[in-house]
Amino acid sequence: MELAAQIASSGILMGFIFALIALGLTLIFGVMNIVNFAHGEFLMIGMYGAFLTSTLLSVEPLISLPIVAVVGFLLGITSYYLLIRYLLRGPMVAQLFGTFGLMLFLRYLVMFIMGPSPLAIHKGILIGKTVSLGWLIFDVGKLTAAGFSILLFMLIYWMIEKTKLGRALRATSIDAEAARYMGIDTEKMNAFAWGIGGATAAIAGGLLANFYYLTPTVGMLFVMIAFATVALGGFGSIRGAFLAGLIIGVIEMVAGQYLSQLKISFVYLAYFLVVVFRPRGLLGW
Amino acid sequence: MRAIVAVIKDTFSLADLPLSERIAFVAFLVFVFIFPWIVHSSYPRAVMINFLLFAMYGLGWNLIGGYGGQVDLGQAKNVGFGAYATALMITWWGVPFWVTVPVGIFIAVAESLAVAYPMFRLRGHYFAIATLCVALVWQQLFLFWDWTGGARGVELPIKPTPNFTFMEFGTVGYHYFIFGLFTAQFLFMNWLRKSKLGYELQAVRDNEDAAASLGINVTWTKVKAYLITAAMGAVGGSFYAVYHLYIDPRCVMHIDLTILIAMTAMVGGAGSIWGPIIGAALLIPLDMYLAALLGGKGFYGIDFIIYALIIMVIAAREPRGIWGIIERIRRKRLIHAAGGQKST
Amino acid sequence: MLLEVKNLHKEFGGVLANADISFELKAGEIVGLIGPNGAGKTTLFNCIAGYYKPTSGKVFFDGKDITGWPAHRVAKVGIARTFQVMKIMPTLTVEENIMIGAFCRTGDRQVARREAQKILELVDLMQEAKAYPPELPIAIQKRIELARALATRPKLLMLDEVAAGLNPLETKEIIQTLQKIKKERDLSLLLTEHVMEFIMTISERVIVMAAGRKIAEGVPGEVAKEKKVIEAYLGEKYAKGK
Repeated sequence: MELAAQIASSGILMGFIFALIALGLTLIFGVMNIVNFAHGEFLMIGMYGAFLTSTLLSVEPLISLPIVAVVGFLLGITSYYLLIRYLLRGPMVAQLFGTFGLMLFLRYLVMFIMGPSPLAIHKGILIGKTVSLGWLIFDVGKLTAAGFSILLFMLIYWMIEKTKLGRALRATSIDAEAARYMGIDTEKMNAFAWGIGGATAAIAGGLLANFYYLTPTVGMLFVMIAFATVALGGFGSIRGAFLAGLIIGVIEMVAGQYLSQLKISFVYLAYFLVVVFRPRGLLGW
Repeated sequence: MRAIVAVIKDTFSLADLPLSERIAFVAFLVFVFIFPWIVHSSYPRAVMINFLLFAMYGLGWNLIGGYGGQVDLGQAKNVGFGAYATALMITWWGVPFWVTVPVGIFIAVAESLAVAYPMFRLRGHYFAIATLCVALVWQQLFLFWDWTGGARGVELPIKPTPNFTFMEFGTVGYHYFIFGLFTAQFLFMNWLRKSKLGYELQAVRDNEDAAASLGINVTWTKVKAYLITAAMGAVGGSFYAVYHLYIDPRCVMHIDLTILIAMTAMVGGAGSIWGPIIGAALLIPLDMYLAALLGGKGFYGIDFIIYALIIMVIAAREPRGIWGIIERIRRKRLIHAAGGQKST
Repeated sequence: MLLEVKNLHKEFGGVLANADISFELKAGEIVGLIGPNGAGKTTLFNCIAGYYKPTSGKVFFDGKDITGWPAHRVAKVGIARTFQVMKIMPTLTVEENIMIGAFCRTGDRQVARREAQKILELVDLMQEAKAYPPELPIAIQKRIELARALATRPKLLMLDEVAAGLNPLETKEIIQTLQKIKKERDLSLLLTEHVMEFIMTISERVIVMAAGRKIAEGVPGEVAKEKKVIEAYLGEKYAKGK
C-alpha cells in the first residue's frame, strides 16, 4: 500500500513535467497542424542552458530559468522563420523530415560542442534534497518542477482564453485563412506559438536538469513521451495534455517499478494503442 | 506464356527512360563491376560495399516511403529481423546462409502484417510516429533480451574464406555478393514500378479518395507495399550479419539506421528509381570519410550535422530531392524548347 | 433497374443531411440531381459511392445490395464518380492518371495503356497526354477526371458539378463530350449541378432536392414549373439577388 502510494505520487509528480513538455507540442500542433520532432531537443538545450549558466557563472540553477526560457523562445522563433514556414508550404513528408532534420541538427550540434558523455549539475538548492510527507518521500527538484508546470499551464491557459493575443492564436488555429482576412498576422502567430513551444520545453529542461543527467541524445526519449502524451490528450488540446501527462507519468513509473529497462516501451505502446483505438484522445470525444 | 515474357521484359527493360539515363546507369554498373580491379586498398572497397548496401536499403524503403508516400520510420526493425535471423541461426545451429534468408524475410513480413492493419488506420504524422514507436519497442526488446545476446550482440563464427555455405569472403567476394543482391533488388523494383501495384501506390500517395474511386483498395495497397519493403530490409540485414560477422541492436535495430535509410531515399529523390542510388552515393562516402577524417580527433556527430543541414534544405526547398531538381531543370528545358519551336 | 435508392437517411452528429431519399435510375438514363447549395446532393453522392455509410436505407445497384460498401468495391461493381472539388493525381501525367482508372479492370500495363489511349481520343485529350495536370487549365483538368472515371468501364457515371467553374463555351463542349461518350460507352449518367441551363439541357429526368429532402421529380420542363421547386430553388436565387 505504501509502495503503491509512493509509486503513484512519484508518477504523478513526473507526470506534471511530462505535461509541461507536451504543452508546447500540443500548442504548435493546434495552431498549424505540424508535429515537431525537434521538441525534445528544445528541452535538451534547456537542460544544457541550465547546466552552463549554473556551472560557468556558478549561479543557482533556478535563477538560470529565465535565461533558459528566453533562449528557448528565441530558438523556437528562429526555427520558425528559418525553416518551419518553408516546410508549411510543402507536403507532409517534407514537414516530417524537416523537423526531423532540425532535431538531428540541434542534437549533434550540442554533442559537437559539449561532447557525448553525460553531465550533471551538482550544486544548487534543489539538488539531492528530499522532503517527506508522512511516509511519502518526494524529491524537491521534482516537486518544484511540478509547481512550475502547474503555474505555466495556468499562465498559458489564461493567455489563450483571456487575452487578445490568445484570441488571435485561437482564430489562427481554427482557420488560418479566415484569420488572415480578419487582419491577423498569422505568420506572427505561428512564430509566436513556436516561441512559446520552445520556451516551455526549455523551461522543462531547465527544471529537469536539477534531477536528471544531461546527454545530447536525451531529447528523443522525451519527445516520444510527449507524443504519447499529446496523442492521449488529443492533438491540439491543452487541458488534454495536462491530464494525459499525469496518466503517462503513472504508467512510466509503474512500468519502471517492474520492468525498468523496458519502461519506455510501455509509453510507446500507450501511444500506439491510443492513436489506433482513440484517435481523438481522451478529451476529444 | 506471353504474360511471363512481359514480366521478364518489364524487369530488364529501361526503355521508358531517356537514353541519357540508360547510358549513365549502364556506365554505373560497369564501373561497380570493375571497381575491385582498379581499386586495391581496403577502405574505398569497404565504402563501395556500404554504398551498395545502403542503395539497396534505400530502394526498399523507397517503395513505401517514395512511391507510397507513407513515412515509415521503422525500417531498422526489418533489417534487424533479417540480421538476427541469420546471425542466430548460423551461430546456434550452423544453418546455411541461404536457408536463414527466407526465415528473416518471413519474420519481418509476419511482424509487419501484424502491425500493418492497425497502423494503416492512421495517416500522416500519426502513422510516422506509430512506426517509430513500434521500431523503438523492438530496439528496446533486443537490448533487453538475453537470448538474443542483449546489448553484447552476436558474434558469428569465422570460417576460412571463401565459404559459400555461410557466405563469408574477402572484400572482393563481398563486393560481388552485395552487387548481386543490389542488382536483383534493382531489377525487382524496376518491374514493380511499372506494375499495377506501382501505379496504384502512386495513386494512393497522390490522393486517397481519388484512388478509392478508381477501384483501388487503399489500405491493402499500402499494406502490400509495407510488406515488400519489410522483406527487402530483412535481406539487407542478412547480408550485414555475414559481412560484419558481428551484430548488436545498435547497428541493426537502431533508429539512426532508419534515419539513414530514409534519408538516402529522400535526399536522392523519393519516388524515383534513381533517387536512393544517388542519395546513397552522396551520403555514404560523405559519412564514412568524415568519420574517418574527424572521428579520431574527438569531433562527434559532425557527419550528422551535415546530414541534418542537407535534410532541412531539401525538405524546405525541394522535397523531391536531388532527382527532383534534375527533373525540374529538364522539364523547364523541355517547355522552353517547345515554346521556342512554336514561336518560330 | 440499374440504381435504386430506398429511404436513404444520413445524419452527421444529429444533423440530418439526407432524409428519406428514394429514387430509381434505369440503364441508359441521364438523371440530373438539382437543388440549392446545402441541399444534400454531394452527401447523397457520397452515400451511393461508398464515401459515407448511410445511417439507414438501402442502395441497390444492378440487383446487388451495395449499401455501406467501401468506395473501391463500389467502383469495381461499376459506379464511377468525379468530385466536386477536383482530386487529380498531380505527380502523374494525364495518361498515367487515366491508366490508373483502367487498372480497375486489368492487371496488364499494355492493356491499361491501350485503354487510356482510346479514352484520351474519346475525350479529346491526346495533346495533353504527357503533361502533368497542375500545368493545365481547369476545364482540361475536369476532362481528366471524367476520362479517368470512364477508364474504370463503369455502367453508371456520377458527375458532381462537372460544369462548375467553366465558361459557357467550355460548358457547351463538355455537354457534347458527355453525349458522345454516353453513346459510345453505353452509359447511364447521374449528375448534380446548380448551373440550371446545363442540367436542363442534358438530363432526361431531374430530381429536385432541398434541405436534405427530395421535393420533386420529373421531366425537366415540367419540374421547373412546379411551385415547390421555384420556391426552393429560384426563391433562394432571388433572395440572394436582393
